[in-house]
Amino acid sequence: MSQNRLARSSTPGVSSLQRTISKKFLLPFYIIISFLFLFSEKSDFKTIRFLKALINDGITYSVYLVNAPVKLISNFGSSARHYFNFNIVLENKKLKDEIDQLNAEKRELQFSKNENENLKKVLGIKNRDDYVSVYAKIIHEDTNEFAKNLILTIGSNEGVQLGQAIVRNNVYLGKISEVNLFSSKAMVITDLNSRVPVVIPSRGVNAILKGNGLGGAQLLFLPQNTVFENNDQIYTSGSDGIIKEGLYVGKIITDNKKEIKKKKYSVDLGFKEHQLNYVSVLKVKK
Amino acid sequence: MNTFLEKIKFYSAHIIFTLICINDSIFINTWIAPGPIINIKYILIFYFSFFDKGRFSITFLFLIGLIFDSLQGMPFGMTSICFILLSKLAAYLKQRRIQINFQNEFIAFGTSLLITQIVSVIILSYFSQTPFEYLLLVINIILSIIIYPIIKTLLKVFYYY
Repeated sequence: MSQNRLARSSTPGVSSLQRTISKKFLLPFYIIISFLFLFSEKSDFKTIRFLKALINDGITYSVYLVNAPVKLISNFGSSARHYFNFNIVLENKKLKDEIDQLNAEKRELQFSKNENENLKKVLGIKNRDDYVSVYAKIIHEDTNEFAKNLILTIGSNEGVQLGQAIVRNNVYLGKISEVNLFSSKAMVITDLNSRVPVVIPSRGVNAILKGNGLGGAQLLFLPQNTVFENNDQIYTSGSDGIIKEGLYVGKIITDNKKEIKKKKYSVDLGFKEHQLNYVSVLKVKK
Repeated sequence: MNTFLEKIKFYSAHIIFTLICINDSIFINTWIAPGPIINIKYILIFYFSFFDKGRFSITFLFLIGLIFDSLQGMPFGMTSICFILLSKLAAYLKQRRIQINFQNEFIAFGTSLLITQIVSVIILSYFSQTPFEYLLLVINIILSIIIYPIIKTLLKVFYYY
């Protein structure tokens, strides 16, 4: 034992040489591994896809654990604000009024729904596919210069498939872009690559809603000389056959210019980013 | 006790970097600016590779890159290559400078960031089908360069480089 120690101490250059060699090999090794990963993106092997789904699941859940204290701290501010809310009586009264108003609207809606069902029966129109919603927790939310993603706690184990819509209180948020075994990724409507077919029922106009990558979205392929008013509501049109029709997306906000050609429209989305905890994934009922 | 504190200080950079990588949106978008505007992770890699070459090892950058790709839905391995490239570029550019002043450092940062982003765009366009906005990328590079002196000053106060 002591001889070994002596031998080690008498040749100090060996360990540093070994380290230098291993360092020299590390760089090309990691570069090769990275490129192998990249080329595996293009391959369509089931085993590779399964392995990647496993790695993704492992990373997702370990990040969730590591991140728990950070989220706790970032949520502490808003919880404290709620706790010290002194206007609670006023807020309560306001909420009661709102509930009364909503109940009245609900009764009207029920009447219209029944009427609609009866008219459909008379005209012989079949109902479109029914959807079931699966509840999912958002365990991570991330943005970079290329994409905006939400990571959900359900994957192919719950029957989640690519392209399915994610909603919160019937407000459209985005669609599933990647499915792992026990987790999935959703592309938010504000992502640069997001395109959603929408309809503005009050004007009878169809359009495509494209994310701008900066927390907003814009309407594309609008008919010429279309005029919108402030607060015109936008819903999904369902023309792609995957996303349910009639999901609320947001409302239109116009500038005050009088000339139609110079008018610019922006979209006020129906949800606020960074305030989402739970969402529902809409699946077609079989 | 002293060595323990030194160890904490040494690994604090790793912890901060990891948390920023997995919480890009929480740290940047909510508090400072909307959207993917500033690339703090690249600033940190450059700073520590330029002033303290051995702090972020290649293995560490490779693993964090993989985690980042997994969370962001990027092609697996892309960010690892970019992180390692930026780190090596920063170390190389420092080696080439005889005199290190702020101007030299600033130019080195701009050059490395530009090269890294070009490489990431090439990888993304070759290995992924998803399109992206060049304008947003340019804004990201410009704002990262502008914000670099501020973050550098904060890091300098804490790490004394």
